[in-house]
Amino acid sequence: MSQPIDLAALRASARLAGFDWSDAELEAIRPIVEASLRVLSGLEQLPLADVEPTTQYRML
Amino acid sequence: MADLTYASATELARLIASKQVSPVEVVRAHLDRITSLDGSLKSFITVAADAAMAAAREAEAAVAGGRPLGPLHGVPLGLKDLYDTAGIPTTGGSKILAQRVPTADATVVRRLREAGMIVLGKLNMVEFAYGPEGRNPHYGHARNPWDVATHRMAGGSSSGSGVAVAAGLVPVALGSDTGGSIRIPCSLCGLTGIKPTYGRVSRAGVLPLSWSMDHVGPMTRNAADTALVLGAMAGYDAADPTTSVLPVPDYMAALTGDLRGVRVGLLRSFFLDGAATDVRAAVETAARALEKAGAVVDEVALPGVRHVAAGALAVVATEAMTYHAAWLRTRRGDYDPDVSTRLMAGAFVTGVHYVRGQQARALMRREVDDALARRDVLLAPATPITAPGIDERQTTLGDGPSDIRSALIRLTRPFNFSGHPACSLPCGFSSDGLPIGMQLVGRPFDEATVLRVADAYQRVTDWHARRPVLA
Repeated sequence: MSQPIDLAALRASARLAGFDWSDAELEAIRPIVEASLRVLSGLEQLPLADVEPTTQYRML
Repeated sequence: MADLTYASATELARLIASKQVSPVEVVRAHLDRITSLDGSLKSFITVAADAAMAAAREAEAAVAGGRPLGPLHGVPLGLKDLYDTAGIPTTGGSKILAQRVPTADATVVRRLREAGMIVLGKLNMVEFAYGPEGRNPHYGHARNPWDVATHRMAGGSSSGSGVAVAAGLVPVALGSDTGGSIRIPCSLCGLTGIKPTYGRVSRAGVLPLSWSMDHVGPMTRNAADTALVLGAMAGYDAADPTTSVLPVPDYMAALTGDLRGVRVGLLRSFFLDGAATDVRAAVETAARALEKAGAVVDEVALPGVRHVAAGALAVVATEAMTYHAAWLRTRRGDYDPDVSTRLMAGAFVTGVHYVRGQQARALMRREVDDALARRDVLLAPATPITAPGIDERQTTLGDGPSDIRSALIRLTRPFNFSGHPACSLPCGFSSDGLPIGMQLVGRPFDEATVLRVADAYQRVTDWHARRPVLA
């Protein structure tokens, strides 16, 4: 589940992250941000409660 | 020697060591072919002709002087333009780093030079390795050599590496692979290449896309060359703390040609079922060929693979954004807009998403380990489609429509996420003459078995020996 994001929300999030992107730039990336958040919402469906995140990549 | 430019690395090394050809002849033949063909193929960003000829003359003197020779003495090498090279620009395929000239070689470049290889230049790539199609508006879109009439994708992000090796401009190139960027161009260009286990090969001195998903490896025209080059690259490096201390086996010694008793798990659900008809048929035929050669083939599934897209997006978007944050504040206009918009979207991925992605990754790794507990390798298509036209955006897979980008990385990315070694090799051609690639996935640090199976398959097939017809 993921809601459409309006420009104001996008602008506020970008500024919190330290980016002073213009409204035109934010409008340009809005579709991809919405699509990304839709895909990422799938992670909430996984049975991850007891799974330790991967933090060590050296497999051996 | 009839055609030095399509001789294998193994053969070139043998001919040079036995004084049947000179490194100068070999390097000159490849440079001449680059001059003749690369204007349209656009596989190189920088050709280091003078330095290469100087190195070739030194290599020739070493042979003449009876000095000890490395296993790849005098063999030409092309480098994706994200490997640091002392004194040669390393652009990452970008305008932002167009003037960047490193003062030291990446660890693997140094190791391959020590093994005797001669760097001919730096190869085209998707800007900062962020994309699988092989497009680059700054240096031109590399052209897949298998279709002279239609400009088709070479696959990326190691697009120039794929084109240069397939077109006989170099026998060996290095690529990097964050979601399939070695295996995708290998599949689309008819090559053999390996994404080793995470930690098997040093990434020190290689521009990152996503530190925890990036792998580096060789792209060649057969499994024996891949084994030879991987052996010279692999091993612990103090400059890359993720490299393993495990000793590097003799990969060439593993190439016995014997498949008796080797257990192969064919990945049907999602992998084979998602592929185009001709790709599916070619991989099924390859499975039968392996069986005929003595392997035991069964089918296996990785149900969690459907969550890789979300998990990998969380990880790659966050890590890539972190690397690019400063430039995205000050130099946005210098990026390919297609790359910058996807990088910028990474700013909206949260810390929770990232950790969830890493949790999903632990699940996926366990699932692949389980599938390999009773099997030596897994078999799947490398890409579900053959090379699309350079401007194509949509395709239809076995299970429905897909955008080209998602289709290209769909079958390779799971093993970046899990970290397992995976080798792409040709297993057929489509009805319109385009290469089809399959991938063999092995247990962590068992590249030897993966290469053994790939080599044995190439001893009973000739897909890897076919060449594109070029002007």
